[in-house]
Amino acid sequence: MAVISRLREVAVDRGRNRSDRILFGTMLALSGFGLLMVYSATSSTGFAGMERQMIFVAAGLTIYAVISNIDYRELKNLIPIVAGVVVLALLGVYLFEPVNGAQRWIPLGFFALQPAEFAKVVVILLLAAVLSPHNRDELLTQRQLTWPTVFRALVIVALPAALILFEPDLGTTLVFGFILFVMLFVAGATWRQMLALAATAALGVVVVLQQKLLATYQLDRIRVLFDPLVDQSALGIRYNIQQSRYAVGSGQLFGRGLFAEGTQTSFEYVPEQETDFIFTAVAEQLGFVGGILVIAAFAVIVWRLLVIAANARDRFGALIAAGLAAMMMFHVFVNVGMTIGIMPVTGIPLPFLSAGGSFYLAMTISLGIANSIWLMRTPVPGENQLT
Amino acid sequence: MKFALRLTTLGIVFIAMFSVIGLRLWFIQVAEGPQIARAAEEATWVGKTSFAARGDIYDRNGTLLATSRMVPAVMVDRTFVQPEQREELVQELASIVGIDPVRIDALYDEAGINGRFQVSTVSNETAYAINESLDELPGVEVVKVPERVYLTGPTMAHVIGHLGLPEQSDLDERKDLERDVRIGKLGIERVYDEALQGTSGTVEYRVRRGEIIEQRPPVDPVAGSSLVLNLDLALQEQVELALESGVALSNEVKEQEREKGEEVFSETERAAAVVLDVNTFDVLALASYPDFDPQLFVAGIDESTFEGLNDMKAFNNLAVSGLYPPASTFKAITYTAKLEENLPFPTDVEGIDGELVSCDGTLELSALADGSPQVKRDWYNPRNLGWLDIHGALENSCNIFFWNVALGTYQAYNGKANENILQDWATRLGYGRETGIDLTSEAPGIVPTRQLFEKYKAHQLENPDEPPRLEPSRLDLASPWLGGDLMDFAIGQGAFTSTPLQVASSYAVLVNGGTILEPRVVREIVGSDGEVIPVDRPDPVTVEIDPATRASLLEDLGRVVNGGTAAGAFTDFGDGVENIGGKTGTAQSTATRDNHAWFVGVAPLDKPSYVVAVLIDEGGSGGQVAAPVARNIMQYLSGNEQTPIVQGEEAD
Repeated sequence: MAVISRLREVAVDRGRNRSDRILFGTMLALSGFGLLMVYSATSSTGFAGMERQMIFVAAGLTIYAVISNIDYRELKNLIPIVAGVVVLALLGVYLFEPVNGAQRWIPLGFFALQPAEFAKVVVILLLAAVLSPHNRDELLTQRQLTWPTVFRALVIVALPAALILFEPDLGTTLVFGFILFVMLFVAGATWRQMLALAATAALGVVVVLQQKLLATYQLDRIRVLFDPLVDQSALGIRYNIQQSRYAVGSGQLFGRGLFAEGTQTSFEYVPEQETDFIFTAVAEQLGFVGGILVIAAFAVIVWRLLVIAANARDRFGALIAAGLAAMMMFHVFVNVGMTIGIMPVTGIPLPFLSAGGSFYLAMTISLGIANSIWLMRTPVPGENQLT
Repeated sequence: MKFALRLTTLGIVFIAMFSVIGLRLWFIQVAEGPQIARAAEEATWVGKTSFAARGDIYDRNGTLLATSRMVPAVMVDRTFVQPEQREELVQELASIVGIDPVRIDALYDEAGINGRFQVSTVSNETAYAINESLDELPGVEVVKVPERVYLTGPTMAHVIGHLGLPEQSDLDERKDLERDVRIGKLGIERVYDEALQGTSGTVEYRVRRGEIIEQRPPVDPVAGSSLVLNLDLALQEQVELALESGVALSNEVKEQEREKGEEVFSETERAAAVVLDVNTFDVLALASYPDFDPQLFVAGIDESTFEGLNDMKAFNNLAVSGLYPPASTFKAITYTAKLEENLPFPTDVEGIDGELVSCDGTLELSALADGSPQVKRDWYNPRNLGWLDIHGALENSCNIFFWNVALGTYQAYNGKANENILQDWATRLGYGRETGIDLTSEAPGIVPTRQLFEKYKAHQLENPDEPPRLEPSRLDLASPWLGGDLMDFAIGQGAFTSTPLQVASSYAVLVNGGTILEPRVVREIVGSDGEVIPVDRPDPVTVEIDPATRASLLEDLGRVVNGGTAAGAFTDFGDGVENIGGKTGTAQSTATRDNHAWFVGVAPLDKPSYVVAVLIDEGGSGGQVAAPVARNIMQYLSGNEQTPIVQGEEAD
């Protein structure tokens, strides 16, 4: 009961503000469309795939509603606890047997928890907390980030990123890099600091290549993008890319129609089509028109997140929203980019569309927080306003 | 920069990223869409090969030598195997077929995604067992694949050759090859592989979730063409038997020599023979001893058997790849050159009177370069044969006579444009280059000249670490080529090397009136539709030889057999021996190896139709060991009763 009363205490007083309906509507549309595509991609093996995903969608929307109604500023106090749990969970994955050569999951019976997906949200919250001014003085005097602040941000990202890199999950690690870069920029990093960061990243790439820290398959995935005459070892990857390209290309302008017979995706030539490669199913069945609509929907979400960032009542909220926008943008760019041959094949799913529980929940939590920031954008009369 | 501006910048970057995706999507789906859609449609078709039977091989009389039968083989089509089923499938197959799972895994990877591979051929019982349990073996099927059957075992093995799986280099070179289908590795199986192979057929189909949903009309395989050989199986069998007896005879002689206290270096182990039609250059028989059974390679030869045969050099076709000094068999060429070119005798050497030479076993060479008296001994004719003309010299294989021909030539032409006049005859008759026979691994041999020795010298000076070709003392001379080298050459010795086929071919030219052709073991290729294609042959080349010279040579070759160095071997030839000619040869190799025994037979002398060349590797004396073998073969060819192969007289 105490929890509920505490929730009531922190629950948002909507006042005059309303939820971001565009954000919610777009999320709902994508989720529904995602269910349809998951059904299309897995119908050959029955309804199980879609039924599972429906449960995740229902759970995700509930969590969205709950989080929307919690004052996001309360999260600041929760961060140390949540961060601790996530780090423990990230360590916990190593207790379980690898699946397809990777240790990314904690099996919970009905579904496998993937802590890395939640770690993204937690890292965004942590970074926002570290990078936003801590008091009125700081806000008024400091326009730029100090070097110690930049360094702290780096350390915050480094720990979970390293843990995830060794799972191994290179793609998710790169998401952290992109989020860090964007949030530092928005928070007021100087050009020097940005350059130093870029130089560090470049150095990191050189070291990784020099020390051969990447697995052969990871190098091959990058290589096939540039070299059409790959050798036998990379043929499997080339095959994925080729099939994905065939599927997307076959869609042409209007697509072959939903559930059309004889499609690449229905032949199951395209691997992982209900998860990482779900966009190929969209592009083949609904064509360029369908594909561009989906991309436009993501553009709307990113746009709403940037608007929320611009209207947030404090820098903490603004930075969270900007970080969420970066995360969303990176996921869409890398995932869709991989199916159309401009990005290497990595296990980065497409928000709301790809089947998978952890990721879907992480995404709804993200938009829930964003909605909370939107609802709280106007100070309640008498409230001590920081911004 | 203000916060709002930073957010705006971010927005612009994000718009750019969305634009990149949108434009690329437009490019793939709309601009290139139709092409990609077509390619995608084609890519959903999977091809399945149906294998063509390999062409048959017949001898000249139509006797079947090699054929193909269809046997069951286990194939795996990866299209129908889910990744998680792979490990179990490989283990299962390994236990059923009895092959190392590691090997199957390797084949699996090589085949590639949606690829198809043959695990191995299996017995009918195993095939039946697999067919019974196909439900538990995803992607597995039993198909009929051609398997080679050699009906004559080791007989003609070196000519026919054997099969094996293609190397990567073969696959790169010939795009039509299938990784699973065996190709010729040796002999005509290799040379005519493309004709024998045939064309695989295909069945193309589309698979959806492991089930065939659509199929195109199948393209049937076209069986490989058959080959008809010039070789005669019955003759070949006789030749191979005779060679085996010849090797046994040689070892018998060596045993006797050992008892007499004479030096013998090793057992005789190898021999080769060629029977060539002198007019058409058709190869009537071609054999090398020891041999192997090509059937061993069909099931897969085990390593120890292979190594054993390889150590015996059983895979070497000595008739075309064995290199030996032609020795005294070459005197027929020196003889022809002497008469055709009217080569001079030396003027300052004792023992020459006009065209007569004193064959007393030694030749004193006071006139050679450094002026000091030297003596060359004819070790094989130490006895005094008296004064001989060119005819008697050939009959008795008198080295001194032919040495003098070379010495006179050296004195007259050394350093002049025609100093290679003798070597040019050898070259014209086919020495020093491949004959062009349709077999694998033919060796060209060496015709030594001053130019070649100069090249050796330069190479040797530049590469002092490599094993030397010339004696070190030669390097100090102005020219490494000496008169003695030409003298060695004139009797087929020194640095001169040749193959049994070259020797047979050169005699064919000498006795057929001067026509040289590329020898052929295959006469014609018969397509599976019955179309007959004669084998490809370049135009004949003519070597000008005076008919009188030819007649004289034929007569003197007859004297060799009927009174000369081969008389002992031919005493019990039977009827028509007066119409048989030939020449013995005993080739010195190195100081620690026994001599190689040669005999070249020609018959009939009044109208030559074939030559028989026999070589017994380290077999000893030509007259003693090789001539009886050739005699036995020629008895068969003449229709005479074949008498046992016993030793002839010891002669050069």
